[in-house]
Amino acid sequence: MVPIEWYLLLATAMFCIGLFGVLTRRDALYFLMSVELMMNAANINFVAFALYYGDLTGQVFALFVIALAAAEVAIGIGIILVLYRNFGVTDVTVPTEMRW
Amino acid sequence: MVDVFSYVPAIVLLPFFSFLIALGAGKYLPKGGAFGGIAATAGSFLLSLWVFATVAGGQTYNATIYTWASEGGIGPTDIELTFGILIDPLSALMLVIVTLVALLVHVFSLGYMNDEGETGLPRYYAGLGLFTASMLGFVVADNLLMAFMFFELVGLCSYLLIGFHFREPGPPSAAKKAFLVTRFGDYFFLVGVVAVLATFGTAQFAGEGSFPALADAALNGSGSVAWIPGGLELQTWLTIIGLLVLGGVVGKSAQFPLHTWLPDAMEGPTPVSALIHAATMVAAGVYLVARMFGFYALTPTTLAVIAFVGGFTALFAATMGVVKDELKQVLAYSTISQYGYMMLALGAGSYVAATFHLMTHAFFKALLFLGAGAVIIAMHHNENMWDMGGLKDRMPVTYWTFLAGSLALAGIFPFAGFWSKDEILYEAFIHGLNDPLLLGGWVMGLLAVPVTAFYTFRMVFLTFHGEPRTELARDPEPVRWNVKGPLTVLGSLAVVAGLVNMVPVQKLLGIEGIDLLTRWLDNDFGGIDGVSYSAYNDLLATHGHEAAFLGVGETATLLVAAGLSLGLAVAGVLVAWKLYNVASPTEHTAKLGGLKDVLYNNYYLDELQVWLAYRTEDAAGGADTFDQGIIDGVVNGVSSVSLFGGSRVRQVQTGLVSQYALLLTLGLVALILTLGVSGGWFL
Repeated sequence: MVPIEWYLLLATAMFCIGLFGVLTRRDALYFLMSVELMMNAANINFVAFALYYGDLTGQVFALFVIALAAAEVAIGIGIILVLYRNFGVTDVTVPTEMRW
Repeated sequence: MVDVFSYVPAIVLLPFFSFLIALGAGKYLPKGGAFGGIAATAGSFLLSLWVFATVAGGQTYNATIYTWASEGGIGPTDIELTFGILIDPLSALMLVIVTLVALLVHVFSLGYMNDEGETGLPRYYAGLGLFTASMLGFVVADNLLMAFMFFELVGLCSYLLIGFHFREPGPPSAAKKAFLVTRFGDYFFLVGVVAVLATFGTAQFAGEGSFPALADAALNGSGSVAWIPGGLELQTWLTIIGLLVLGGVVGKSAQFPLHTWLPDAMEGPTPVSALIHAATMVAAGVYLVARMFGFYALTPTTLAVIAFVGGFTALFAATMGVVKDELKQVLAYSTISQYGYMMLALGAGSYVAATFHLMTHAFFKALLFLGAGAVIIAMHHNENMWDMGGLKDRMPVTYWTFLAGSLALAGIFPFAGFWSKDEILYEAFIHGLNDPLLLGGWVMGLLAVPVTAFYTFRMVFLTFHGEPRTELARDPEPVRWNVKGPLTVLGSLAVVAGLVNMVPVQKLLGIEGIDLLTRWLDNDFGGIDGVSYSAYNDLLATHGHEAAFLGVGETATLLVAAGLSLGLAVAGVLVAWKLYNVASPTEHTAKLGGLKDVLYNNYYLDELQVWLAYRTEDAAGGADTFDQGIIDGVVNGVSSVSLFGGSRVRQVQTGLVSQYALLLTLGLVALILTLGVSGGWFL
């Protein structure tokens, strides 16, 4: 059996990759993908601990997160579409109307 | 059984609601909200009558309805600051007077303001409503602090209404003057209120624990007061408090030397002048002294000062009225003079005579002002009496009612003013025989009688008699029912109101029970213990305030005093008749020589006050610097610090989503690190 540490390391790595994407990418679509990565890192943690403790709650929760992620993507893409319509780009650094 | 006293707050609140309605929705209502005001004051009037009837049935009311500050340990004693209602014969009578005059003024305003096509009517009716409400609140107040608050509200309303025509140069300046001059007096009043609270721990007017009762007990030695500053004698300290409160009275009731605002206040619309002079603002001062007469009765020095100031003001103002050319100016000086009489009566210890004159004066002065208003409408807002003449035949209703008011003002038998003024002079005389200061007040009051009669009838003859002197006077604009109605009501009252207190007749003919007002104020119909004419007389007697009669006995003294004042009044009328009741009268003021200029310029008192203001410029400037620099500086400093901080911190808000995400992440890392270090994870 794979020790829990390996799962956690994998999840941490995925989360950091996602975070790196969010912080460095300028395209909104990359944003969405990076957020997906971060969520899935969390999912891995859920499933890993569920396996470790023999408790299915974590797995059920992971399913919920997947469903939620789908919904979130739908909204996210909607926002990106509006962004594109208004500014002609999907670069998040261009629209800075909401600044001080 | 419905308890009428639970409706007393409604008397005050009804005009207040009319104020809110006129202010909020006046421009959508017909007549600019006038009907709301009329309905409200009519409601208040009816309720006041009900209250009056209930008090006549022997019930009184003295209760606190709301305590708004009751922290222990403010100052030397635990002090409760409250709102409450005191209904006794005096306040019930005053309620009826105020609501009646306010109602008639509202009706008259329909003719004076609406029919004349004035603009800003909602503002006008809102002001009238608030004015009435403040005065009514003042009348029912059961403690000095509450009275002070409403006193200030009255002052505010007078400011708003005197400055009603704010686009012209005169009215705003007059309003400011009224506000500042009365505020100068109110400053002393406020100090007096604090002194009363600190000394007695209460400011209640009536009842067991009221401050007049406590002061009396302390003077008897059967009680003590909580605080006396710096080893003063109790009597001295009470006198100081009395004089401090008197400051407010002198300002509001336009007594010398704070009377200068009142003639200028004629810049306000005429119905407002009627309200100010007859029932609200100016009456407030005299009413206050009457309200706390139990306190003043303890300090003979204060009473003597009141009497002397009153007598002096009566004569002083009357002399200025003699040379004025404008209708309302004459009336203004007569008001100052008449309130001087009331103060003289109070100083002479005659609480009843003062209240009596307050009542009759409310009726005949409201009448005269409304009559003057009618003349002003007719003359298209020309107030100069030299442009009038001959209006007698062209506006008979106004003439006859105005004449009734003038006879009352001049004190001619049997009109209202005769009875009250005669009683004042009589009381001042019999008490003055023991007190030279009071006797001085009486002499001046007596000298003012012929002067009053003279200027009153000079006004009547110039306005109504003789030949018309201008085109306008030949063809005056007619007035409607809403002018004639109030005039008729007040005209009848000016004729008969004096009959409620025929003390001289009672004493001469021995008919018992026709001194209704005296019995009313003496709790014959029921009242609150310690707040009655005879209770006050006992106090006065204890403190060496005795009446004396000429060697010929009481009845003869009465006849001499009454005959003297009536004779002088008639003489004044006859002189006016001789000089001014001719087809085309001319000015006779030139015969006064240099005195004319002095009188015409009001003894240069305005100039004196301006001069004083300039001399004290530096002190005022220093206070201003302190206010602007230190007080405002602190407030402005706080706000500029937050403004500056905000202008820097807000630059975090760049609009770049990536930066927000970075900040979030850094924040999370910082949070984890902090928790980790403090939680000992990394050890």
